[in-house]
Formats: sequence, C-alpha cells, structure tokens
Amino acid sequence: MKFKQNLFSKCFLMSVSVLMLVNTAVAETSHPSGLEIAQQINARDEGASVSRNLIMEMVDRRGKKRVRETRGFRKYYGEEKRTMIFYLKPNNVRKTAFLTYDYPQADQDDDQWLYLPAMRKVRRISSSDRGDYFLGTDFTYEDIKKENKVGIEDYNWKTVGEEEIDGHHSFIVEAIPVNDKIAKELGYSKVIYHIDSNIWMVRQSAHWDVRGNELKTINFRDIRQVQNIWTAHTLEVSNHKTGHNTRFLFSDIDYSTGVTDDIFTQQALRRGL
Amino acid sequence: MNKINNEIWASRFFQAVTAFPKTIIIAGLMLILGTAIFIPTLQKDTRSDAFIPPDHPALIYRDKVEDIFGLKDPMVIAIVNEGEAGVFNPHTLALVEWLTERIESIDSIDPERVTSLATENDIIGTDDGMLVEAFFETPPTTQRQADQVREAVMDFPLYLGSLVSRHGDATLIVAELIDQTQAQQVYADLLALVEQAPTKQGEMIHVAGEGAVSGYMGAYIDADAQRLNPIAALIITLILFVAFRTLRGTLLPNFVVLATVGSALGVMAAFDVSFFVITNALPVVLIGIAVADSIHILSQYYEEVAQQPKDTPRRIVIRTMEKMWRPITVTTLTTMAGFLGLSLASVMPPMQYFGLFAMLGVGVAWLFSVTVLPAALSLLKLKPSPAYQIQDQQNQLQVDRFGLAMKSFGCWVSRHHVLVLFLAAIVTSAGIVGAFKLELNEARITIFQKDEPIVHADTIINQKLDGVHYLDVVVETPQAEDLFKPENLTRIEALQSYAETLPHVKGSTSIVDYLKQMNRALNEDRLDAYQLPTDPDLVAQYFLLYSASGDPADFEEEADYDYRLANVRIRMDTGVYTHEKVVVEAMQLYIADHFNAPDISANLSGRVNVDYHWIKLLGKSHFGSVAVALMLVWMMASFNMRSMVAGVITVIPAAFSVLLICAVMGFSGIWLAIGTSMFAAIAIGLGVDFAVHTIERLKVLIRDQKHSFDEAIEILYPSTGRALLFNFAALALGFGVLTTSEVVPLIKFGSLVAVGISASFVASMTILPALIKAIHPAFLYPKTSSANTTIPIEMIDPIRLADATHKERKDEVQTKPIQ
Repeated sequence: MKFKQNLFSKCFLMSVSVLMLVNTAVAETSHPSGLEIAQQINARDEGASVSRNLIMEMVDRRGKKRVRETRGFRKYYGEEKRTMIFYLKPNNVRKTAFLTYDYPQADQDDDQWLYLPAMRKVRRISSSDRGDYFLGTDFTYEDIKKENKVGIEDYNWKTVGEEEIDGHHSFIVEAIPVNDKIAKELGYSKVIYHIDSNIWMVRQSAHWDVRGNELKTINFRDIRQVQNIWTAHTLEVSNHKTGHNTRFLFSDIDYSTGVTDDIFTQQALRRGL
Repeated sequence: MNKINNEIWASRFFQAVTAFPKTIIIAGLMLILGTAIFIPTLQKDTRSDAFIPPDHPALIYRDKVEDIFGLKDPMVIAIVNEGEAGVFNPHTLALVEWLTERIESIDSIDPERVTSLATENDIIGTDDGMLVEAFFETPPTTQRQADQVREAVMDFPLYLGSLVSRHGDATLIVAELIDQTQAQQVYADLLALVEQAPTKQGEMIHVAGEGAVSGYMGAYIDADAQRLNPIAALIITLILFVAFRTLRGTLLPNFVVLATVGSALGVMAAFDVSFFVITNALPVVLIGIAVADSIHILSQYYEEVAQQPKDTPRRIVIRTMEKMWRPITVTTLTTMAGFLGLSLASVMPPMQYFGLFAMLGVGVAWLFSVTVLPAALSLLKLKPSPAYQIQDQQNQLQVDRFGLAMKSFGCWVSRHHVLVLFLAAIVTSAGIVGAFKLELNEARITIFQKDEPIVHADTIINQKLDGVHYLDVVVETPQAEDLFKPENLTRIEALQSYAETLPHVKGSTSIVDYLKQMNRALNEDRLDAYQLPTDPDLVAQYFLLYSASGDPADFEEEADYDYRLANVRIRMDTGVYTHEKVVVEAMQLYIADHFNAPDISANLSGRVNVDYHWIKLLGKSHFGSVAVALMLVWMMASFNMRSMVAGVITVIPAAFSVLLICAVMGFSGIWLAIGTSMFAAIAIGLGVDFAVHTIERLKVLIRDQKHSFDEAIEILYPSTGRALLFNFAALALGFGVLTTSEVVPLIKFGSLVAVGISASFVASMTILPALIKAIHPAFLYPKTSSANTTIPIEMIDPIRLADATHKERKDEVQTKPIQ
C-alpha cells in the first residue's frame, strides 16, 4: 500500500502544480478540488496483499449468462503488482490460470502467463493494452488494474457538484483525459465519478467513449469494511452500447493473512490451488 | 331501360354540376389542399428489405439471426494500390491509419466497431507462448517494415479475403453505424473524407457496402424526383397545347393532374405509407393518366363548340359530358382494375402500395374530370380551338393534320384487315418466342448507373476481395456449449470446405477458423497445428483465452453467448440472383443430406438467402399478377358492355402489349426483376383504355346509329382516334420521362411501359377494328333489333328536347380535309 501511495505522491508532486493552475477556478469554495478528491481516493488503504473469491457474471444483451468462479491473489512488490487468478468453475475451464506482473514503468510491458490444463502447458501471452477488455468482461485492463482507485496522471480533474448516491453524500468529479493519445489508450473521452465524501470510495463511475457516446456505468456496491479496509463486494457494469452487463461478486476477502510469494510463479500456475 | 335511366341520371348530374360551378371548383380546391397538406410528412424508405413482405419467413428468420449474432450492414471502404508492393508500402499503410482515425470520429459511426489493418491484432505463436499485437502500432517508415507487415498479414488466414485481398493489392476499413438511419449522412461524410485523403498516385479509395448503398439511395431518389416530375408536367403541357392550341385546353387538365398527384401522395403520407424507390414513378404515371380523361373530354368539347358556336357554354358542356361520361368511366374502372390486380397479386409491399395509390389517383382524376373540369368549362366563354373548325354550309368538321392522318390510317386498316390480322399473328408468334427467353434475375447494385462510383466500388471489392454478399449458415445444437464438441466442429469445417467449392463462393468464416488459428499460435506457430483441437475442454479454454484481450462481444458474429448456436458466414463475390440460386440450392441439399443429424442442424440465412427466396417468389407471382390484372380488366369490360365477347376483344390489345414487352425483354436480355415486374399490370391497366374508347365509340356508331363498318371507321379515327393519339402521346412520353431517371430499374420500367402503351395503342387502332370487321361480333351487330336499346338520347333528354329545333344535327360529323 505504502509503495503505491509513494508512487502516487511522486506523480502528484509533478502534476499537481500544473493541474492546480489549470483547475484553479474548478470548484465552489466549499468543495475540495477534483484533484484533491482524486488524491484522497488514492490515499486509501487497500492492503498490501489480498486473497479472495470472485464470481464473474456476464450477461449479453439477449439475457444469456456466463458465470465463472475464481479464486484470486494480489500482492504489491514495491511498485510492482502481481496478480493470480485460478478458475474454479465451470468444469471445462477449471484449473485454467492467469498470472500477471504489472510494472510501474510506463514503457515496460506487463508480463502475463497462462496455464491451459487441457494442453498442460504454461504459455506466455503478450500483455494487453490498457483499454482492452479484461477476460471478456466489461472492465478494461486499466479498470481492473486500478481496482477502486483512479489514474490521477491520466486526467484533468474538476469537481462539478455533489449528490446523494445509494444514501451517501458524494462529490461529483469530472475527469477528462489530459490528451487525445491518453483518451485513445483508455478508450474514454470523459469519466464522471461519484465519490463518497466520508470514506473516499468511488461509488459510481460513468464513462464516455472517445467520440463522446455514452459507453458504460460502473456501480460499486455493498461497500463494507473488511479488516478495517473499505471494500466494495459487488461491482456492476452495464455497457450502454452493447447492452452487455458484468457483475463481480467478491467473497472470502482476506487482507491480513498475507499471500506467499510462491503463488505468483509459473509452477503455481501449473500446480493450481 | 337501364341505359335510359343511366342517361337521365347522367344528364341531371351534369346539369347540377354546371348549376353550381363555383361551389364545385372551391370544393375541388379544398380537397386538393386537404390531402396535399400531408405531403411534407412523407417518409423515404430506401432499404432493400422494404421490398420484402415483412412477414416473409426468410426475412423474419434473417432478422432473428442478425439479432442473435449482432450482424449489421456496415460501410466498407476499400483502399486499392495496384503497385508492386500493393497496399503494403509505408504510404498506403499510413493512409489506412489516417482514414481509420478519421472514420472513427465521424458522427453515427461506432468508434469501437471500426475494423482495419490499423486496428486489428496479429496472433503469433512463439516458442514459449503467444503474442497478440497490432500489425503496426505506428505505420511503417521503410519498405522493409511494410514487407514485414505484409508477411504477418499473409500468414493470418482469417483476414485474407475478408480484410485484405489475397494479392495484397487492396484492404478494407469496415465501419459499423450506431444508428443505421443515418446511412445517407455517413455516406456523404465518408465521401467528403475520401476527397481530402492524402492519396498518392496509384492509390484509390472506394466506398461501398450495403450501408453505403442504402445511404446513397436516399440522395439518389431526392435528386431523381426533383428532375422527373417537372419534366413530365412540361411534356404533358406541351402535348395539350399541340392538341388544342388554347389556354384552357392546356391549363385545365393540369388542374386535374395537380389534384390527382396531390391526393395520391397526400393520402399516402396521411396513412404513413413510405416513399419507396419505385414510388418515384407514381407521380409520373399519375400525370399521364390524369390528363387522359381531360383530353377525351376536351376533344369532344371542342367538337361541340365548333358545331354550335352560338350555344351557351353550359349546354355545350352538358352535351359533351353526356357523351363522354360513359367511356371515361369505363376506362377509369378498367384502369383501376389493372392497378388493383397489381396491388392484389404483388408480393412486394412497395408494389402493393403503388397499385393501391395509383388506383386512388385514377379515381380522383375521374372525379375531377366529371365535376371540376365541366364546372370550370361552363364558366368560360366559348372560344373555338384552332384544331377544330367547321365549314359553315354543310356543318362539316374540318380536322387538322393529326385527325387526317388518323383517318387515312383507319381507312387503310379497314381495307387491309386480313393483312393486319396476319401481321398481328406473326408478331404474336415472335412475341411468344421472345417471351420464353425472359429471364428472372435481379442484382441490387444494378439499381445504379454503371458509371456511378458506388457500382465501381462494389465491382472492385468483389473482384479483389472475397466479396460482400453474405450467405449465413446458422448451426443449431440442443445444449449450451455443444459447439465445443469436436464432432460438431468437424461437421462445420466440412460444410465450409464444401461451400468453398461452389461457384462465386470466395471464402467463409466461423469459430472453426478462430480455433484453428489459436491452436497454431499456442503450438509454436507450427503450420501443421492449424487444425481443430480434439478436446472439448481445450476448446472451452481457447475461448477463455481469446477473451483475455477480446471485446465481450468479440465472437458475437460467430457464436451465441452460450455456445449453442454458430454462424458460418459464406462470402460471395456476386449479388446476382441466378448465381445466388445455385449456391443456396446446393447448400440446402448439402445440409439436408450431409449435415443435419439428431444433435445438430443448420438453416440458411443472410441477405443472399433472403434475396433468393423472395425473388423466386417474385417470379412465381409475376405471371399471377398479369393474369389477375387481365382477368379483372376483362370482368370490368364485360360487365360494362354486358358482353363477354366485348370483354375479350377489349383485353386483346392489352394482352398483346404484355406479350410484346416480354418479347422485348427476352430478346434484349432485360431481366424480369423488381422494377420491371410492375410493367405488365400497369401496361394492362393503361393500355386497355384505348380499346375501351374504340369499342365504346364503335358501339354507338354501329349498334346504335347503324353506320356501316367503313362509315364508322371514317368517323371514329379523326375524332376518337385523334383523341386517343394525344392520349397515347401523353402516356408514352410521360413514361418516357422515366428513361431520364438515374435509377436504372425506373429507366427500364419506363421504357417497357412506353413500349407496352405503344403496342396497346397500335393494337387498338389495328388489330381490334380488323378483328371486329372479320368476326362481326354480336354485341355490335345484334341479330334482332331492339327498340329499347336504340331510343335516341334526344327523346329523354330535357335539354335536347328544348334543343329539338336543331334538327339534322348529326351526332357524328362528316369529316372533310382542311383545304
């Protein structure tokens, strides 16, 4: 967690001064600025490591459903983040596993390995772009990578109002990609965040595609503390263009036990849980 | 007595009409305004699907399949470079990226659904895994790099033929629309973009695809209608001027035209009926028809004026209408019957509506011709037409050169009636031979002129790539994930291999191709691994792997969400029905004999299949619609003349004209297709008028007034014959205007109907009298004379009774040449 915060702090120091100048007239005096809110979000504790069960439910526009049950692990190594996902169900993909190393350097491609039990082989697969969809869900790799945080350096931030959402007071913050290149990479031309003003958790984010068409809305629900860390247990995305929906249901979340390093290896991929 | 009653009623009716002429005219104006007010709400419908009955099973199934697999009609932009390196050179690849980026930012284009070499990924097997990466992140700067891109693309079978030509000289950008109704605007935006594109010598850009076709069609129709209708109106006005050489003779019929076209289109709009491609022909057809009644009424009117220049306008008008109401009512009814036949027997909604609203227009033309026209004429001071003059002493009508020409023609026919019948028999035989050569065929792209850019684009894309005409094979299994079973995948693979042996099939895509590609990539890119995995779990895992970087809707076009249904898309390089027919029928047979099994089945869908089914239907229904139209016209004519033989004789010229049109089509290779299939019913409805007018007049001359045949002919031709000549000119030239259309089917339709009308006119002026002279039909030559049927009209007509002093005025005038 600390490492991640450090990373963000550095970025802030570099970008805050510029962004603050740009955004001086941003919000009404009573509201914190967009950037301040974004900083608050990213300052939240999300645990150095975590293990959890995740059920992914994907529903296409005709109402057909795919359900996948997984067990996932995540751990920070300095600024580097390692993730392992083991598929449990359905049976024909059981033991399929993905291992990902996310490197902090922008110019270094992430590493990704895959184990296909029917082939009994570990294969290295090329990294995905930030704007690519994640495992057939409506989240992009960037959405997943950031979890409940935001990419401060990618956007210009502006507080545009406040509103109750799911019964909680929240600030409405508009995030516009700093340039077209970033917008294209992310696949977004604008994001509107609703951020809970008490716990600095994003409760909702609405996304527009690069042409300004309404793209998708993500709702972060069932937010409860687990081992003193605020955690959204349900994530729901609806894609307004395709009519496709994704729901992530987290359970058995454990931040405190710690995850051993040998989980994030090719041997573990092959071995399974 | 019935006839006498009719005459009394008619006489009273026209007295009433001329008693309140201003009221009638104002009522007429209100009717025009009341209906025409809806015209601005008319909606265009240029979709190809508009021609298919919405409840046709092939269409319903296609729509269902499109919904399941999310298939759309995209815009297709082809970039062609026939140079040595093809499109694989730094400049052209940069052009592809340049275009892709700008197309993504066109309104109504879904930026996430633009596919090109600049957006797609290569899947490459490596020693330890698999690489999914863009063919190029930034366009190559050297030829060497461009060659590497070429190598990568050529090694990726899924894109060959579908995204890049197999020779590497063309590549596509395929763009889906968020809102299909914006096709016209998007097509215009694309053309503007292409215009600005930084092309080098040797590079060409074409815009095509079904989306572009319907987009272009909208603009095409607008431009066409704006040109056709004024030309038609102008030509008709000119004919009227030549016929009557008076202002009223030229302008009054235009008022009837206005009412007819205005009410037909207005009622169409009021009932939310769309303006289809062929609806463009409707105003032109109606202009021609509407003016016909007026020509006959005005011809009679000017004859009356010439004979009774001192009479009151009202009495002249009443006498005119008493003589003309019957023939124009009969022709109206027979024309309406023809259009009803078209409407009832046609399978295509645009034709059904065409028939219906043409029928309405003909009815309105009649209504205005028997009310507003006489009302207006009764208000105007008598003024003779220079075309109709009387020599004082003998009260003889001088006719102009048109009348004279018709008279000598009539006499010739009468003298040589056997020769006429003999010639007719020869022409008929030749017609039958030609009609057997008639070919049922259709190709959507032939709607446009050959030199249109969209036609060129379509040709290039179909030549260089696998084609953009799709036949979809929908594979169905009973349970979710049954598609993972190797035996099912093998069956699909075999089906594709078979399809690719058929003529004009250039390629096909299904999940099988993706699985093979993935299998190869995960096996160190070995060529021998380009085959289907044999373990169903591995198939499931491949799909999961693919989704690692794919869009959730990535396989939407190939498989449904629970892997129970698959779509095999077969690409053909032609949209010609006769070619599609071969493939569809072969595939139907293959599926029934080799594919279907208890746990798997397949059905055909896609545009190719829909076209096949409904064009086949068009072929079947076409001759039905001709038969229905002929039958209705025959019934109407028989009823009106109380004689089935009269009905048959009336129908002969129309039937002759249909045969002749078929022959022209057969000999000149014009297809029986969407546009041309309407010709017959319309030619019958219009062509029969000439016969009706001729027979009606002969009935009066021969049966009622006991003239000999030759006398009757001498009277008939310069009077009715002359009016028919102008009637014919108005119709033939009215339809002739369609030949200046940009829409090819309308050109063909217009020329064919013009041929048909000419044939009907000539047949009515030759075969019909010759036949009557040869067979002496009973309805003209009754065996026992009946006093009832020969009571002179004067006996029961109050105005005529008042006019009784005017003795010896022959109903029919002797003609004498103008010196």
